[in-house]
Amino acid sequence: MTSLTRRHALGLFACAALAGAARAAAPVPGDSVYQLHPHLVDQDGRPFDWGSTRGAPVLASMFYTSCEMVCPLIFESIRRTVDAFDKPVRDKVRVVMVSFDPERDTVPVLKETAARHHCDARWSLVRGTEADARRIAALLGIQYRRLPSGEFNHSSVISLLDAEGRIVKRTTTIGDIDPALVAAARSV
Amino acid sequence: MRRARTGALAIALASACAIAPAADYARLPGGEFTSVLPQGATPGTTAVARVAPFELRATPVTRGEFRTFLALHPEWRRGQAPAVFADAAYLADGPAPDGRPDPADARPVTEVSWFAAQAFCESEGARLPTWLEWEFAAAADETRADARSDPAWRQRILSWYAQPATAALRDVGGPPDLHGVRDLHGLVWEWVDDFNALFVAGDSRNQGDPDTLRFCGAGAISMADRDNYAVLMRVALLSSLSAPDTLRTLGFRCVRPATGELR
Amino acid sequence: MEFQSLRGALQRTRAFLGLAAIAFVAAPSLAASAAANTGDFGPPRGEPIHAVLTSPPFVPPPIHRNYPAHVIVDLEVVEKTMQISEGVNYTFWTFGGTVPGSFIRVRQGDTVEFHLKNDPGNKMAHNIDLHGVTGPGGGAASSFTAPGHESKFTFKALNEGIYVYHCATAPVGMHIANGMYGLILVEPPQGMPKVDHEYYVMQGDFYTGGKYREKGDQPFDMEKAIDERPTYVLFNGAEGALTGDKALKAKVGETVRLFVGNGGPNLVSSFHVIGAIFDEVRFEGGTNVQKNVQTTLIPAGGAAVAKFRTHVPGSYVMVDHSIFRAFNKGALAILKVEGQPDKTIYSGKELDSVYLGDRSRPNLEAVTRATESARQGTLSLQDQVKAGEALFTGTCSVCHQANGAGIPGVFPPLAKSDFLTADLQRTIGIPLRGLTGKVTVNGTQYDSVMPPMSQLNDDEVANILTFVLNSWGNPGGQVSADDVKKSRAQGTASTAAAAH
Repeated sequence: MTSLTRRHALGLFACAALAGAARAAAPVPGDSVYQLHPHLVDQDGRPFDWGSTRGAPVLASMFYTSCEMVCPLIFESIRRTVDAFDKPVRDKVRVVMVSFDPERDTVPVLKETAARHHCDARWSLVRGTEADARRIAALLGIQYRRLPSGEFNHSSVISLLDAEGRIVKRTTTIGDIDPALVAAARSV
Repeated sequence: MRRARTGALAIALASACAIAPAADYARLPGGEFTSVLPQGATPGTTAVARVAPFELRATPVTRGEFRTFLALHPEWRRGQAPAVFADAAYLADGPAPDGRPDPADARPVTEVSWFAAQAFCESEGARLPTWLEWEFAAAADETRADARSDPAWRQRILSWYAQPATAALRDVGGPPDLHGVRDLHGLVWEWVDDFNALFVAGDSRNQGDPDTLRFCGAGAISMADRDNYAVLMRVALLSSLSAPDTLRTLGFRCVRPATGELR
Repeated sequence: MEFQSLRGALQRTRAFLGLAAIAFVAAPSLAASAAANTGDFGPPRGEPIHAVLTSPPFVPPPIHRNYPAHVIVDLEVVEKTMQISEGVNYTFWTFGGTVPGSFIRVRQGDTVEFHLKNDPGNKMAHNIDLHGVTGPGGGAASSFTAPGHESKFTFKALNEGIYVYHCATAPVGMHIANGMYGLILVEPPQGMPKVDHEYYVMQGDFYTGGKYREKGDQPFDMEKAIDERPTYVLFNGAEGALTGDKALKAKVGETVRLFVGNGGPNLVSSFHVIGAIFDEVRFEGGTNVQKNVQTTLIPAGGAAVAKFRTHVPGSYVMVDHSIFRAFNKGALAILKVEGQPDKTIYSGKELDSVYLGDRSRPNLEAVTRATESARQGTLSLQDQVKAGEALFTGTCSVCHQANGAGIPGVFPPLAKSDFLTADLQRTIGIPLRGLTGKVTVNGTQYDSVMPPMSQLNDDEVANILTFVLNSWGNPGGQVSADDVKKSRAQGTASTAAAAH
């Protein structure tokens, strides 16, 4: 598994910032998820601008920390998929994981989850309001519902976004790398 | 130029306040309720759920009301709303945003996406109902809070499903039920906030056979009460949709907490 | 399997056995024949083909291709109101605008790219389960489609045969009951033997709120569907869908292949063609063939292929032989065969003569003559006695014996009967109304039951009585039909008490 060093991370953010500046002039396309403006916070407690990943390919999904079964698999799948990407993609790709359990996934919990899954600087684990979570799920085509026990019934989908935030590929393959996802990332 | 625009906005606001009366909300007492979707603590088991009291719009949102909303929120007009929030058929036959009264104003607004419906409800300090709230309200008839065991109630609903969608919609304002709510059946399908929580798998015949890897936690929902196919069909339709989708037969209404404040 | 392919299979088997001797060396050829049996003939070849779909009762043309291809099927769901019977409207949900839905024809081993389109004017979401698909839900899980949307999924047709497809959206029974079913034929790789006509017929049961043929717009009735009490049982979705000028057609001496499906939702079909025998039936649509079949069972959600040759012209009525469905619920279709008659096979009606049932004894001439005379008004005593004798033999002699002696202690005698001659009016009433209870005849008491002879008409009663009065030492007399008619008009049942 490759991890980003702090220097790499800084370089990456600088690149993104430059690209972002260039893009800021151009309006967000109508079919981009960046049309949504949720108020999110990441695992470091910093405000997370949903549109800040514009300019880079993004793997996005949703989870909740107390999930025993599938969510750890989603993290694993994404990690292995990133490793399988070609180097140019791997260097740019960002991962955004949105919680649909903001009540229990507080910032410290997100931080602990990120550490447990060895998430490097590419990864942002974020939370917002419940309404934000519902909207993001609607955008990404993820179904979920909270059970009285506090558990969540949810579908498992990983979406690949292009630099403009358009969903170019979705996969429900969890546990294995989906070759279609890796292939799609090449042309992003 | 700017002044003209502000002036136009002011006129629009004024006319909006003049034309559109405050939306009529009915109060529902809430209570215990057995949903067709299992609400048990263990996935797949049925349990009685508690629905908190809430206020529900007495009728679906009308074309006239939506037109007023469009005047104040031009970003939601057809052609303005981005594709990720509304599909190509959004308001294809929708109310003209120019503010002139239209004989179709009293009909329910359809061809609206979930995002658009959310935005409208937010604009009046409300939100879309949850499925449970909608189902709770829809269980009532003229005299009973829960008429679901009555085959006549089911048959009335089923006969609407049997009619094709090509007929023009009638105006809102059918007979009120016990709570004073109208048109929950027989007029349009309606969005709910958690429409994407109703996930029956595309093939609903493998009830009780959870595909746990695909649907973390419990597997696809098994209908707790399979006799209640009248409600089942609502679930089937809603679970086939994505948030930007619109249908000629799909409208919405809003809900606010009984206190009147937005949660 | 049809005869030709059976022979082919035999040949293949023989070839296989021959190869077995050098099997280890010839491993690749063995592997090839194994692959052929599983129905997976490898990846599709050639340009993608757009499948030709047809509306019932027609079937797409046979496939002339010897390699697996990529076949694209476009099927649209349309909810529309149509007549289910004269003056009766019903909102059907259809595949391709018809009930049953479009007929799909592919070849075993084809890779089928299936597009399901839900018309934006529809109200409901729909999907499709094809029984020929090997995969979850038969495709239903991958084709759940909202109105105004299209779903696509791909499957390989591994098994040849005739398969039902239907919508599987909850509540499934309602979607099927509204007409969402059809057939997909997966041809065997060597094709099917040529026939002169292929037709597509599908039975279904329908449940309306109103009664059979009650006019107007009829809704679906879920309670009747659950109780399995159909209002209509129909071929191809409507009464008269395959009758009159819409009847299926063939000529004498032609082979007809019927692809017969049963969409249900509930009933099993006993499919029969009146006046025809199926030379071959692929029962249940499977590989085995039954021959010389009169009526074949088609399960709900199943299909069969029936093949027969026409020999004689006429209208051949196809029915579900649970016969009240045919004549009281509409399960009737017609195959009209035209051409030259063949009297050696079927002659048509040759003779229409009088048949008098259990009274057909050699001597009925007398009865006929008496009837004729009575008509002409020239009925003589002789005529009546002769006719009465013939009728007595068939009807009365059973109890009263041919010599009128009766059976002692059981049935009273008619010979020299004092009882009979004492009151003529009473006597005339006995064959009409019967006689029960105690009577004394010639000094002996009898206590028995004679039922009314209600099968006899006035002439017959008159003739019988006249014969009895003039036989076995009875004093004679004559009873006319008019006398009997008058007595009949009095109408009260005769009992022993009244008789006395």
